[in-house]
Amino acid sequence: MFYRMPEFNYFRPRSLKEATDLITRLEDFKILAGGTDLLIDLRIGRYRPKNVVDISGIKELSYIVDEGGIIRIGALTKLQDIVESPVVRGKLLALAEAVEQMGSWQVRCMGTVGGNLCNASPAADTAPPLMVYEARVKAVSTRGEREIPITKFFKGPRETELMRDEILTEVIIPYIDGAGTATLKLGRRNAFTLSVVAVSTLAKVSNGRFEDVRIALNAVAPRPVRAVRAEEFLRGREVCMEVIDEGSKLVVKDISPVSDVRATAEYRRDMSVVLTHDALLKSLRRAGFAIGGE
Amino acid sequence: MEGVMVGIVEDPYRLMEKWLKAESFMVIGKGVERADSLDKALGRAKFVEDFFEAGTLFVKQVLSTEPHALLKGVRADEALRSPKVLRVITAPDIPGENQVGYALPDQPLLAEGKVRYYGEPVALVVGNDVDEVLKAAELVRVDYDPLPALLDPLKAMGRSDVLIHDEAAGNIAFRTKVRKGDVSKGFSESDVVVENEYRTHHQEHAYLETEAALAIPGLDGRCTVITAAQYPHLAQSIVSRVLGLPASKVKIVVPYLGGAFGGKDDEGPLVAAKAALAAYLTGKPSFLIYSREDSFLVHPKREAAIIRYRSGASKDGKLLAIDVTIYHDTGAYANRGPFILWRSTVHASGPYEVSHAKVDGYCIYTNKVPQGSFRGFGNPSVQFAAESQMDELARKLGMDPVELRLKNMLRPGSRTITNQVLDHSVGIAEAVEALAKASGWGRKRSEYGGGRGRYRRGIGIGVAWHGISTSRGVPDWSNAVITIERDGSVTVRTGIIEMGQGSPNSSHRQIVAEVLGAPVDKVNVVFGTTDAPDTGATHASRGTSIGAIGVFVASAKLRERLNSLAAELLNTSPDNVVIEGGEVRVKGEEGVKLRWEELVREAYARGVEMSATGYFFLPKGKFRDDVGQGQAYPAYSYVAAIAEVVVDTYTGRVSVERVWPALAAGRIINPVQVEGQIEGAVAQGLGYVLMEQLVFDGKGRIVNANLTDYVIPTSLDAPEVMKPVYVEDLFKYGPFGAKGVGEMAFIPIPAAIANAVAHALGVRIYELPLTPERVYFKVRKVRGGPS
Ligand SMILES: Cc1cc2nc3c(=O)[nH]c(=O)nc-3n(C[C@H](O)[C@H](O)[C@H](O)COP(=O)(O)OP(=O)(O)OC[C@H]3O[C@@H](n4cnc5c(N)ncnc54)[C@H](O)[C@@H]3O)c2cc1C
Repeated sequence: MFYRMPEFNYFRPRSLKEATDLITRLEDFKILAGGTDLLIDLRIGRYRPKNVVDISGIKELSYIVDEGGIIRIGALTKLQDIVESPVVRGKLLALAEAVEQMGSWQVRCMGTVGGNLCNASPAADTAPPLMVYEARVKAVSTRGEREIPITKFFKGPRETELMRDEILTEVIIPYIDGAGTATLKLGRRNAFTLSVVAVSTLAKVSNGRFEDVRIALNAVAPRPVRAVRAEEFLRGREVCMEVIDEGSKLVVKDISPVSDVRATAEYRRDMSVVLTHDALLKSLRRAGFAIGGE
Repeated sequence: MEGVMVGIVEDPYRLMEKWLKAESFMVIGKGVERADSLDKALGRAKFVEDFFEAGTLFVKQVLSTEPHALLKGVRADEALRSPKVLRVITAPDIPGENQVGYALPDQPLLAEGKVRYYGEPVALVVGNDVDEVLKAAELVRVDYDPLPALLDPLKAMGRSDVLIHDEAAGNIAFRTKVRKGDVSKGFSESDVVVENEYRTHHQEHAYLETEAALAIPGLDGRCTVITAAQYPHLAQSIVSRVLGLPASKVKIVVPYLGGAFGGKDDEGPLVAAKAALAAYLTGKPSFLIYSREDSFLVHPKREAAIIRYRSGASKDGKLLAIDVTIYHDTGAYANRGPFILWRSTVHASGPYEVSHAKVDGYCIYTNKVPQGSFRGFGNPSVQFAAESQMDELARKLGMDPVELRLKNMLRPGSRTITNQVLDHSVGIAEAVEALAKASGWGRKRSEYGGGRGRYRRGIGIGVAWHGISTSRGVPDWSNAVITIERDGSVTVRTGIIEMGQGSPNSSHRQIVAEVLGAPVDKVNVVFGTTDAPDTGATHASRGTSIGAIGVFVASAKLRERLNSLAAELLNTSPDNVVIEGGEVRVKGEEGVKLRWEELVREAYARGVEMSATGYFFLPKGKFRDDVGQGQAYPAYSYVAAIAEVVVDTYTGRVSVERVWPALAAGRIINPVQVEGQIEGAVAQGLGYVLMEQLVFDGKGRIVNANLTDYVIPTSLDAPEVMKPVYVEDLFKYGPFGAKGVGEMAFIPIPAAIANAVAHALGVRIYELPLTPERVYFKVRKVRGGPS
C-alpha cells in the first residue's frame, strides 16, 4: 500500500486468442501471470512497461494431464497445484521435489510454472528438473504455434527464445521409463530461499552401467545448464562410487558461477559437485540401484 | 486514615518485602491467557498503520546516497511541482532543536551540514497522495561534496586527518575500562593462557512491522503522536525538543507493535519526531512509515564487535586473569553506543569470579549505519567471546567445560569483575547443574565431537549474566497509576508498551490481580501512553521486572487500604483479611463475608481513595568510572543454554537439533510468556549465529537491504526447544522477585551454538556468522576437504 507502483495500462484478456491478438498490436508491454516476479521487478524499476497484460484469467491454460507417454502442464498452472498433483509426484519426482522447495505456500499459490520459466532467472528452480526430463515448451502467437526444447529455451539472464508476440502456453514432458530422478537444492536456510545452487539428476542403469544420465544445475551460470561433460563421462561407465566421484567433479566444466551476496563462486563450484554427487546417488537408489558406502 | 500512618503502611520497601514472602499464589506462576490474544488472532488488534485514514498527509524520507559528504544543498523545485506535494522539509525548517543523540549530542534528526552514512535522513517530503509523494521523493536533488569515508573501525580510530564528527578530537566516541587486581600477576600465576580475537557482526531487527508514526495536531498547539516507540516519555521529550514545545503539549500513544527488540527504542522517538514535524509545519495529521528497505538502511543495528581476549587459569581450573579489549563499530553516531559498550565491558568476564581483570572498551565512529539497541545490548557478543574462551581453557586443561564453569561460577557472596559483592539472587550454578543433567551433557560430550565422516554431531554450552536495571548510578525507577473503578473493574495505567512480549497484557494483570485479590478479568491495562506516569522504557528486560514494580507497589498500596476497610467492616484485624479471586473472607472462618464489588462500593461510600501510584526509585550503589569498580547493577539475571548440532562437513550447513534452556531470572510470573520469549530468542539467536549478515559495499551501503538477501530463519530452521529449567532466585526489588527474561533468553544462544559447532568439528571459528560457506572452507582448510 505504501510502495510505489509505476503507472501502466492494464489489460485482462479472457482467452488465449484475445491475448495473442492484443500483444500483437500492443507496443511496450509485459505479460503478468502470477505476478510474483513481475510485481517486484516493476517496483524496483527493472521494467517500466507502458502496458501490462494480465493473462491470469485465461483458465484454459491451467491443467496437468497425463496422456500416457507424455505429461502436459499448462503454463498458468500454479506451483502449488504441481506440488499437490499425484501425476507429478508419481512420474516426475524431480519436478515435485524442486517445486515443493520453491518460495512459500503463499508464493506457490500465486506463481506459475510458465512465469518461472519465462522470467528466466539463472536460479529458476523448475528449470533443472525440466531440463533433465528434456521437456519442450509450446509458444503460441497469432502466427501459429511451435515447440522449443527447454534446453534451448534460456538464452541468458531474463532472456528466452520467445518472440515478443509469443505466449508460452504449455510444458510437455515425455515419460522416461526405468529411470530414477532427484532434485537437491542448497539455499541459505531450510525453506523459502533462493538457490545457491540446485541440481536435478536422472539415472538409468542397465547391466551395472549408466545407460542414461542427465545432470542440470541452476544459479551457477548465466542460465540453467546441463552438465554435458559430466554426463558424457558417466554414460556407459560402470556404476560405482569412484566413477560417481569422478563424474561429479566434471560438472565444474560446464558451469561459470559468480560471486554475489548469496555465495562466492568458489563455494558454488564446490557445492555443485557435492550436490551432483548426492543427487546421483539418490536417483540411482530410485532407479533401484543402491551403492554401498553411503 | 491519617497521613503519617499511610506513609508507614504504604512504604514501598515494606510492601515489596511483604509480598516477596508470599508462599502460595492464585495467578502468579500460572500460564494466564493474554488479554490481546483473541484480538491478534482475529486481526482486530490495531497497529500504527491501522490508524492511517484517507485524507492523512503522507510523509516519505529522502535518504543520503553518500557515506560521508558535505551537504551543499537540497533542491526541491522539481519535487514540489506536483500540486499534491505540499512541503519538502529539511534541517533549517526545524522549529526547535535538531539534536536527537541519546548518549552524546552528536546526531541531528535531519542531516545538517554533513551526511555521515548512506541512508541518513536528509529531507521529508509531505503531500496528500501516497503515489505523488513517493514519486516526488525521487525528484528531490541533494548536492553533496564527498569526503573520504571510514568504514573499518580499527583504521578509523587511528585517523585524525578524517574526522567523522568535526567537533570531536578523533573518531573514538567513547571509552570504558575496568581494572581489578593485577592482571600481570594473574597471568604469571597461570598455568594455561589462551588468547584469541573474536569478531561479531551487525544484526538487523527485521521486525514484522517497520517504523511508523501518525502525528495529529490538536487544540491549543498540542500534538498527539501514535507511534511505534518503546518509551512513550522519551518520544515525548524528543518530539518536544524538535518542535520547541513544552513536553506537556505532546501526547504519545503506542498501540500494539509488531516487534521491537530494541530497534524501536532507538528509532521510535525519531520516527515520532519526523511525523510530528510534518504535522506541525502543515497543521494536518501526517503519517510516516518506513519501507522495508528504508528500515534496513536507516535504523541502528546490533553492534559489530572485535574482541581481543586473553584468559589465564591455574591447572586445577581456577580462572585467574582476563585481559579484554573490545572495539565497537558504532557507525555514524554514538546513539546508545556508550551504554552498550558499558554493558559489554562490565560483563566481559562472563558469570565467573576472577581476581584479576583488565578490560578496555572503544566505541568508534565509522561511516556506516549506527549501532544501537538490540536484545542483549552489547552482551551477546562479549558472552560469545567469554564462553568461547572458557571452552578453549577447558580443552587446554583437559577438563569438562561444564565442570570448569561450575568451578568458577558466581555464587552468593562472590565478587564480580567490578568488585561488586553479590549479596543475593545468584542461582546460576544450581541452574547449570540441572541443565547438564536434563540434556544428558556428560555422556553426549564424550560421545560426540571431533568426529570423522561427513555428518558430525556436537554439544555446547553458553552461560551468561545480565545486569538488571541501568548501569552504575544511572537513575532507574518505575511507576503506574491504578484506579479501582466504582463497579469493581480495575484500570491500570503504565508507560510500559506491548510489542508482542505480553507484559501489560499478561504479567501486569497477574501481578495486580494477585495483590488486590481481584479476578484477573477485571483488570484492564492501559499501556504505552504518556497519560500514565513516566514508567521508563520497555527495554532491558524490564517490562515484567523493574517496569512492573509500579503496578506491584500501586496495587499493594490499594490492598492495604482494602484490608483496613474490610477489617473494620468484618470486625477483625487487617492481617486476618483474605481477598482471593474477588471473595473476601476472614482467616480461619468459614464462608465468603463480602464480594469484591461490595467491598469496593463501601470504599467509595466511606471515602477510601481507590487510586494509587506506585513510584519506586531504585537504590544504587557507588561506582567509579575511572577504574570501573563498584556496584555495576542492583542485581543480575542469569541464563544458560545447551545446544546440540549436526554439521554437514560437505556443505558446511549447521543444523541445530535441540536447545535446552535454563534461567535463574527470579520469579517466573507467567511460564507460557517466558517460554515464548525463549523460543523467539532461540530462533533469533540461531539466525544471528548461523545466517544473518549485513553486507556493506565499498561505499558503506548495505547491499542486502531487503528480506530476499538478508535471510532470517524460518520455522524449518528452528530446533526443538526443551522445557526450561527454572531456578527462582528472587530479587528483592523485583515484583514478587522477578528479574526479567526477554534479553537473557537470547544472550547465551550464539555462544552455545558456536561451542557446539566447535565441539562437532574439533576446530573453532572465531568470526560470526557461521554460514555454511565459512564452516565449509574452515573444514576444508583443516582437513583438505570432502572426498
Ligand atoms: C518471496 C518469493 C520467493 C520466491 N522463491 C522462489 C524460489 O524458491 N525459486 C524460484 O525459482 N523462484 C522463486 N520466486 C520467483 C517466482 O515466484 C517464480 O519464478 C514464479 O514461478 C513466477 O511465476 P509468476 O506466474 O508469478 O510469474 P510473473 O511474475 O507473472 O511473470 C514472470 C515473467 O515471466 C513472463 N511471463 C509469465 N508468464 C508468461 C507466459 N505464459 N508467456 C510469456 N511470458 C510470461 C512475465 O512477463 C514476467 O516477465 C520467488 C518469488 C518470491 C516473491
